[in-house]
Amino acid sequence: MQTGAKISGAVHVGLILVVLFAGSFESDPLPFEMASATVVSAEEYAALVSGEKQPEVSETPEAPAEAEQPAAAPEEPPAEPEPEPEVAEAEPEPEPEPTPAPEVAPAPVEPQVRPQPDKPDVVEAPVEQPEETAAPKAERIAPEIVETPPPDAKPDEVKQAEVVPDEGAATPQEPKEETAPKEATDRIEPEQKPNLALAPQQSVRPSVRPTRPAPVETAAAPEARETPEPKPVEKPVEKPAEKPKPVQEAKTEPKPEPKPEAKPVDTSSAVNDALAEALGGEKSASPAPSGPPLTSGEKDALRIAVQRCWNVGSLSSEALKTTVVVNVTMSQDGRPDTGTIRMVSSSGGTGGSAQQAFEAARRAIIRCGASGFDLPADKYAQWREIEMTFNPERMRIR
Amino acid sequence: MKRYMLSLLIGASLFFTNVSSQVAAQNGPLRIEITDGVIEPLPFAVPDFVPASGEAAQVGRDIARVIASDLTGTGLFRELPSSAYISQVRDFAAPVQYADWKAINAQALITGSVSVSGGQVTVQFRVYDVFSDAELGNGLQFSGSASGWRRMAHKVADAVYARITGEGGYFDSRVVFVSESGPKDNRLKRLAIMDYDGANVQYLTDSASIVLAPRFSPSGDRVLYTSYESGSPRIYVLDIGQVQRRVLQQQEGTMSFAPRFAPNGKTVVFSIEKGGNTDIYAMDIASGQTSQLTNAPSIETAPSFSPDGSQIVFESDRSGGQQIYIMPAGGGEARRISFGQGRYGTPVWSPRGDMIAFTKQNQGRFYIGVMRTDGSEERLLTASFLDEGPTWAPNGRVIMFARETQGAQGRSSLYSVDITGRNLKPVPTPDGASDPDWSPLQN
Repeated sequence: MQTGAKISGAVHVGLILVVLFAGSFESDPLPFEMASATVVSAEEYAALVSGEKQPEVSETPEAPAEAEQPAAAPEEPPAEPEPEPEVAEAEPEPEPEPTPAPEVAPAPVEPQVRPQPDKPDVVEAPVEQPEETAAPKAERIAPEIVETPPPDAKPDEVKQAEVVPDEGAATPQEPKEETAPKEATDRIEPEQKPNLALAPQQSVRPSVRPTRPAPVETAAAPEARETPEPKPVEKPVEKPAEKPKPVQEAKTEPKPEPKPEAKPVDTSSAVNDALAEALGGEKSASPAPSGPPLTSGEKDALRIAVQRCWNVGSLSSEALKTTVVVNVTMSQDGRPDTGTIRMVSSSGGTGGSAQQAFEAARRAIIRCGASGFDLPADKYAQWREIEMTFNPERMRIR
Repeated sequence: MKRYMLSLLIGASLFFTNVSSQVAAQNGPLRIEITDGVIEPLPFAVPDFVPASGEAAQVGRDIARVIASDLTGTGLFRELPSSAYISQVRDFAAPVQYADWKAINAQALITGSVSVSGGQVTVQFRVYDVFSDAELGNGLQFSGSASGWRRMAHKVADAVYARITGEGGYFDSRVVFVSESGPKDNRLKRLAIMDYDGANVQYLTDSASIVLAPRFSPSGDRVLYTSYESGSPRIYVLDIGQVQRRVLQQQEGTMSFAPRFAPNGKTVVFSIEKGGNTDIYAMDIASGQTSQLTNAPSIETAPSFSPDGSQIVFESDRSGGQQIYIMPAGGGEARRISFGQGRYGTPVWSPRGDMIAFTKQNQGRFYIGVMRTDGSEERLLTASFLDEGPTWAPNGRVIMFARETQGAQGRSSLYSVDITGRNLKPVPTPDGASDPDWSPLQN
């Protein structure tokens, strides 16, 4: 029986652990597997096929650049960015009509935005560009994706291949990827920069990236510089960096709280020590298990919140010499339990003045706590009971 | 299986109880220190006092208005207008709807009732700390003649002030001063007395002769003052209640002025100018026995007792310029306490004993200031063409003084200022006014 019980217990513990941690483990392996499988099969074939023509690509980008200068990029823009770039382009176009920049912008923008994660590999970028230019060559790949309409699908297919390494999505997901990634990019742009001024900047950035490969080619760079000049060059660089941020921020608004916790780790440990000392040696050994103590920032926020309502203007000069220590029990919603507010001790001044000093402190706690102090709910155990020292020394009339 | 399940449950319960015990064990209070606050008037509400009868309604309104004026006038309180009230107080005994007063941020609430019968007014009131859902102290009741309703209102305000600030009020007090009328070169002066807020002005003398520097006795029932009635300055004692006066005994061929009572009310200190030299003397009022407290070739004058009667602060130019000195009440070695730029005069010891108010003259301007009794922490509260004659409120928190404007049409009037330098404001008087002296709180 005992052995059976031990075995069953071990199994149960294992099951519990699995239940607790299985979620995080499961999610990871899936993407890894998917990524490895897809990358090997689909892209390499295309890359091998197109790789032979890469030298040609180096020449081809020059050609589109030249074609762009005379504003003669009719073939590429209509074919590639019909749905996605059009929105971004449509805005800039009306404003800077004379400048060929908008036209230039759309074509390179899309392909570049997607390869952004690939930025470190600058060399690869030109490799991708040839794919675009090699759009006619994509017909060779077409047999694989034949299902979709041949003319319009060409640019889409190229994009899919690029996205695949990021998400590791399988080739059959192609139609889904078309809509999903496009929507994401479109949404991000309008959220951050809905104004007109921002629109031209976006159009500029495509020109910038062609400039990056341009240094290799040397032809496109000077051209792009002439129209948008240095500003667009800097801005596009910043924008791609900023765009991913807003997406994260919007999604992880609550997360910023844990972040400050992580940052002041040092101070929190110091606070821990201070708390341990203050609490005395008896139970100082068990501060950690109930969770981290309030960070200095969280304590400052509380202190400032109380200070806002601590009005000493109506206190006598004697009361202004009196430091009172007030203890209050907090409810879980951050409001003080007014019935529990009591004076622990007072120093300085006279006995009578301590009462007025305490009453002013009590008013401060109640008034500014009426709507609940901004305290981390997950650390309720840390601030269920608060001892506030009201020291008016700095407020005293001198 | 059941056993396994049971063991699992036990294990789980042990696990959670362990955690909860750790949480509980760590529950020391969070400690924070508040060192910065705000200084702003405390919002209060004082609805009209509930009348016990129809004839008391007006008195109830008037009393509430005087209380509001007293508290607001300190600069420490701010009245919320009745138009902001959510609930009305129609029954003095009914429980207070704290939520309604919290909603308009009334931090203190004063409610009261008033009844009038047979020429007697009875006032009851309570003070509430709204945000604490509690009453501050117990209710109080005052009774008096119907004509003295303002005093009862002042007494209520004093009680409210004391309960909230922790120091005594000063509303039920009076001020004696020199009322001035006419042009500067032919100014008529007479003694007048009024409530601290300028109400109930009464004249104590006529304008036939020049009067100067009236000073209350410690009990507030008598006034010392200097009059030129006889052609040269002499000191008189005036009984306010009976409006009777008598002249203090005086040596022939001397001028006496700048009198002030000792805290015991039996001794008077003053200056005597004799042969071009001025020194400070003390006189027992009852016996007329006089003793000389200073003996220097310089001018010593403007003596003022410390509240405990053990020391006297006065001004002297023995060092060349006019400065402030302190000596024992019985005379003796004096120590100088003022060392700043300019000349210092008219020192007055605070009724709290911790500060000395003075007039300072420097580079053509006059200042009212305060300093500690050792001369430290000098702080100038006002500045103008001519500020002089400070006098302390009974609680030592406010100073009243006279300010005269420049030019032939210059007019002297009274002002008050908090010792923090805030809340400088004029005190209404029917005519020009100078030389104020603030009485102690009335009994």
